[in-house]
Order: sequence, then structure tokens, then C-alpha cells
Amino acid sequence: MPAASNAVRVAMGDSTDVALAAGGDRQAFERLYRAHATRVYSLCTRMSGSRAQGEELTQDVFVRTWEKLPQFRGESAFSTWLHRLAVNVVLNARKTEGKQASRTEENDVDDERWDVRARAPMHIERMDLADAIAKLPAGARRVFVLHDVEGYKHEEIAEMCGITSGGSKAQLHRARLLLREALER
Amino acid sequence: MTNSKMTCEAFDAALPDYLEGTLDDSMRASVETHLRECVRCAGVVRDIENIRHDAADLPDLIPARDLWAGIESRIAAPVIPLAARPERQRRFAPAWMGVAAAALIVSTAGITYMLTSRSLGSRQDQAVAQVSPTASQVDAAPAQQAPDNSLASAPSQTAGGNSASPALAVRTPTQRGGTQVSLASRDIQTGPSHSDVVYAREIEMLQGIVKQRKTQLDSSTVAIIEKNLQIIDTAIEQSKAALAKDPASRLLTEQLTHALDKKVELLRTAALMPAST
Repeated sequence: MPAASNAVRVAMGDSTDVALAAGGDRQAFERLYRAHATRVYSLCTRMSGSRAQGEELTQDVFVRTWEKLPQFRGESAFSTWLHRLAVNVVLNARKTEGKQASRTEENDVDDERWDVRARAPMHIERMDLADAIAKLPAGARRVFVLHDVEGYKHEEIAEMCGITSGGSKAQLHRARLLLREALER
Repeated sequence: MTNSKMTCEAFDAALPDYLEGTLDDSMRASVETHLRECVRCAGVVRDIENIRHDAADLPDLIPARDLWAGIESRIAAPVIPLAARPERQRRFAPAWMGVAAAALIVSTAGITYMLTSRSLGSRQDQAVAQVSPTASQVDAAPAQQAPDNSLASAPSQTAGGNSASPALAVRTPTQRGGTQVSLASRDIQTGPSHSDVVYAREIEMLQGIVKQRKTQLDSSTVAIIEKNLQIIDTAIEQSKAALAKDPASRLLTEQLTHALDKKVELLRTAALMPAST
């Protein structure tokens, strides 16, 4: 489907396709996919730090959306609901990556004693922002993407990631300083 | 600390709250005074503001390939060839195991539905026409009962059709994709009944899936599932033993049907359960 017609259809709202897809219409669901794929893919790729993982997660998100669509009550815009579901899919996928890795990341995210002056080693050359985000530590990357790219509030991030609001703030600041260093601004 | 004497270290400590806008008025005034005097700290704030601005304006990324085909194949719940199942599952990453399980369950449930529906007419006729055996007839064929018991504990033996078991009349499934097989009457026959095979196949498939997913599930959940399966298996065995003595009992037949359905339902639930976090 051409991008222009996607834009028009998104502007008109997804309600018809959402209703059809919730009833099992796969063509309507494909239209929803076409309209929202790049946004979901961007989120998945930036949060995971990998295009390959982003592709896999995007597919997971839309499969999950298909399963959950009958439960969508229209209390928020479909795009908002889809976006939140995508965040949850990415975060849940992270949790299944292994207990050891998970424990390390949780400690990383929850460490509110983190010294804002500390600099994690990022031995990287000057790069663009997207590349620098991908190279951030996982916990800092997730919070940065959710806050500065996607516009979530710390309270929302804390709830989604299972951390405190203070932990989210600390990770965000850490991410910004690391990015500044990486970008050699 | 006065406005003019704020150190860069103190500024660094206050910076996160300054950027969040959560500093009190006096502290914010101190930071802003320091920023007017310190090139280094002013540069930090300027750079971070630029990063925030650029991050909010990042363009959407476009996948290198069309992902719809993969999504469509998964939501269509394709029938996976049973013979290829072990090989396919070895290739799957853990994240795909749940999808594979769902697809297998859909396929086995579909097969069950087709088989039971197809045989409905002839089975109902047989159920009316056949004469219930006497207790002595049942007792005289203990070996024929064995595989029926193995349905609960080792269904693969029954599924293989190595020995006979009581005939089971089949009724149309009442649930979409469900394995609703009714044991309307029980008669002696020489081969494994159609319903025995259907139940055994379904249970065997589901047990295989659950066994492979065991490591993904919470250990306490697995323990509860196994305990409940033991209870159901005991009920199945008791129903079969009672039916061996009173094969015409409608109550016992329904009890056995109920227990087998419960076992399928529990296994199906376990197979579709999300991985523990």
C-alpha cells in the first residue's frame, strides 16, 4: 500500500479496520500492519538495539496484536494501544533472554545510587545518534528510547519496566551523558 | 553554597533534577548562575538539550524486508506436519515455542474434529445396534483393557494401536476445535476404537508439547500441573476399572469421558501457557 494512502487512512482513523480485524479479517489486519509497521519497527529496533531483533519483535508485536485485538475496547487510540503493547512485548522478550542477563540488567536499571559523573567505557568513534543509542547499555537504552524518543513519562516507564521512577530518571541521565560522550559534542 | 560558588561537581549532582525541572527555586537559581559563569557546564546542558531535541525528531526506521508474510503465516495458524514436528521444534528459538505449540494444538484439534465428525453417523448406528457385553466377557479379556489404561499414563502405546480397547461411540464436538468425544456405550471389539485413538493421539501430542515447554514454565506451576494430571489419571483408571465391571453404565461412561476431556483441557492449557518471566 502506498505511503500516501497509508497516511490518509491513518488520519481518518483505524476504527473500521480495527473492528474488521478483531472479527478475523486478515486483510483489514494487514492494512493496520502497513499503517503502523514502521512506527512499531522503529520502537522495537531502538529498544533492542538491533535491526534483526527489531524485525523479529515487530512480528511478535503484530501476532500478539492479532490475538489481543478482540479485547481492544477503543478507550484509547488504536495507535496508542498498539504502541503500549509493543513496549510490553519488547520488555517481556527481554525477560526471557536468560536469568543471568536479566538479573544483571535489573540491577543495572534499579541502581539509583549511580553516580551521574561516572562514565561507562564507550570506546567508540564519532557516530550518529541512532548508532549511539544502539550502543547504550540495555537499561539506559530502553529508558532513553521510551522517554526522549517515544515521549513516555518516568512514572509510565517505571511501571512498564518494573523499576522506580527515580531509577528511570537516573538511567535517562546516564544515557544522555553517554550519548554526549559518544557523539563528542 | 552561594550562587557564585557552586562547583562543577555540585552542578553535576543537580543536573538531572535541573533538566527534569524539579529543583526548588533557590537551587535552580544557583544552577543558572553557575551556567552563566561556567563554559564547561553550559556546554553539557546545551549538548543534552540537543540530544533530547534530535531524539524526539528521529525518523521512523523501515524494515529491510516485508515482515507481513511472517506475521500472516503465524496468525493463520498453519497445520504443521506432525512427522516434522520434532525437527522443526529444535530449530525454534524459545520465543517461537509458544507459537509452535498453538499451531500444533490447532492442527490436532482440527484433525480430531474431522475424524469425530466423519464417523458420527456410523458410530451412532453401532452404538444402538451393539449389545453390551456381560461382566464375564469383559473379565475374560483383561489384556484388552490394558491399553485403555495406558491412555492416561503412556498414550503412545494406545495410539500405536498395538492392542484392543473397548469401543467408544463418538458424538459431534460441542466446542470449536475441542476434543469432545463421548463414550455413549462400551462394547467389546477387536481393534482400538476410533475414540481411543483420537484421545490417545491428542493427549500424546499435548504431552509432547508440554514436556518440551517444561523448562520455560515456572517450576511451581509445573508441579501443580503434574499433580493435577496425576489426580485426573487416577480418576481415569478408576472409571475404567468400574466400567470393566459394568460396561453398560452410562454414569461411568460419562465419568470417563469427563476425566479424559479434563486431561486434554489441562494439557492444552499448559501447552499454551506463556513462558515464565
